[in-house]
Amino acid sequence: MKLRISCIAIIVLTVAVTSGCVTSTIENAREEKTDTYKGEAVVVMAKSYHQGNETEADYIQCIERTLGRGSGALNVIPTQQFIDNLFPWFEPRTAPTNTKGLINFMTKLGVPEAIELMGVRYIVWLDGDTERVTQGGSLSCVAGPGGGGCFGFAWWQDDADYEASIWDLNKSKSTGTITADYSGTSFMPALVVPIPLIARTKAKACDGLARQLKTFIIDS
Amino acid sequence: MIAKRYFKYSIILIVALTTGCVTNIAIKDPSIPKPHFEKLSLIVALRLPNEFYNFVHKENVLGQESWTIDFGTSNATFFTQLFEYMFDDLIVLRPDDDTLNYTFDALIEPEIEGFEISVPNQSKTNEFVVWIRYRMQVYDKIGNSTSTWSVSAYGKSQIKGLGRKKSLQRAATLAMRDAAALILLQMDKATKIGTLADGPTTVNKTESDGISVKNLNNEKPMVLNTSTFGDADEITN
Repeated sequence: MKLRISCIAIIVLTVAVTSGCVTSTIENAREEKTDTYKGEAVVVMAKSYHQGNETEADYIQCIERTLGRGSGALNVIPTQQFIDNLFPWFEPRTAPTNTKGLINFMTKLGVPEAIELMGVRYIVWLDGDTERVTQGGSLSCVAGPGGGGCFGFAWWQDDADYEASIWDLNKSKSTGTITADYSGTSFMPALVVPIPLIARTKAKACDGLARQLKTFIIDS
Repeated sequence: MIAKRYFKYSIILIVALTTGCVTNIAIKDPSIPKPHFEKLSLIVALRLPNEFYNFVHKENVLGQESWTIDFGTSNATFFTQLFEYMFDDLIVLRPDDDTLNYTFDALIEPEIEGFEISVPNQSKTNEFVVWIRYRMQVYDKIGNSTSTWSVSAYGKSQIKGLGRKKSLQRAATLAMRDAAALILLQMDKATKIGTLADGPTTVNKTESDGISVKNLNNEKPMVLNTSTFGDADEITN
């Protein structure tokens, strides 16, 4: 009995401690020096699907959550609330796609007032997605009346490539771009029990990009 | 006898394989946010067809899942809400209401011209896409058809985080919202409905029929089509 518990504990510990490896590159390009950040609100948006963008909804939510908590937490306005308050000027079809469009957008009836009321200064536009780029190996499992088990080895690689463009509504200008490229390889060896060594590529890309965004906005 | 039995089983097997399960989706009445829009000074009568109160779309993918999307009254709610935001005064009419009993500057008759969905199995993606095409016939106060305008809108929603049913519901709601944005920003430009506040288009009354009217210049009504826009700037400019 004790041996079985020890065995389970070792497996759990192995899974908890080991995980697939992730490599990352984050680049930050500031285009414009902005005024000091005074706690104004930030909105995180996905670039429109009308332009073929595929950024996942859960990734946007992760960036929103991460920006709004921890040290240097920003005041994040929920995306849907922002879009609703600016209807119909921030719909997938009508939202400004560049800074020229942003200047035009700021002249629309009631728009500057709505933005001032919400206290929004920065819009963070997200583009990109996480894709499985390659996979291999083989793993098979069998089960019978006397028990079951798995044998084999499988692996896969996920690439998370995201770009965040930051617009300053006070100046109606783009202030910079941050790119985050993460690549993670997950493994699953199986000797009776499969041991998943999962690389949390998307989650790490979220943490990395959000941390960089905080620094970019606060150190403006 | 055996051949007959095999034939029967083969038929049952083919039917079982080609008939997938049916998923029913009900679309809730949409809620359009109050737009930043200067209302047009018009009294508009909106005649809603019966299908706006019970529109159902069925999509069968051979051998796979079938979808039934019940819009219920959402199209009626959508157009009523939208036009209340667009015009100073709105009168909502049913198909059998007599327009002679009402005073208005313009009459709009919308209809659903097309509806399509793309499910993940078809598109090989993890998202649902909904296309909806509304056609609007605009008349002046005495019944002249002044323009016909088609609006194509679409909505897209990923499955992840929502599940299949909610994702399709969201795609349909986004398509209606897309249509709302287009109608708000383009309708006056496309149909010149705002000019009807100055009175009806000039008409000739026929001698045989004191009620029906026709266009003076024998012009066909303008047929305009707003299907796709390359860039939001085209709308905002």
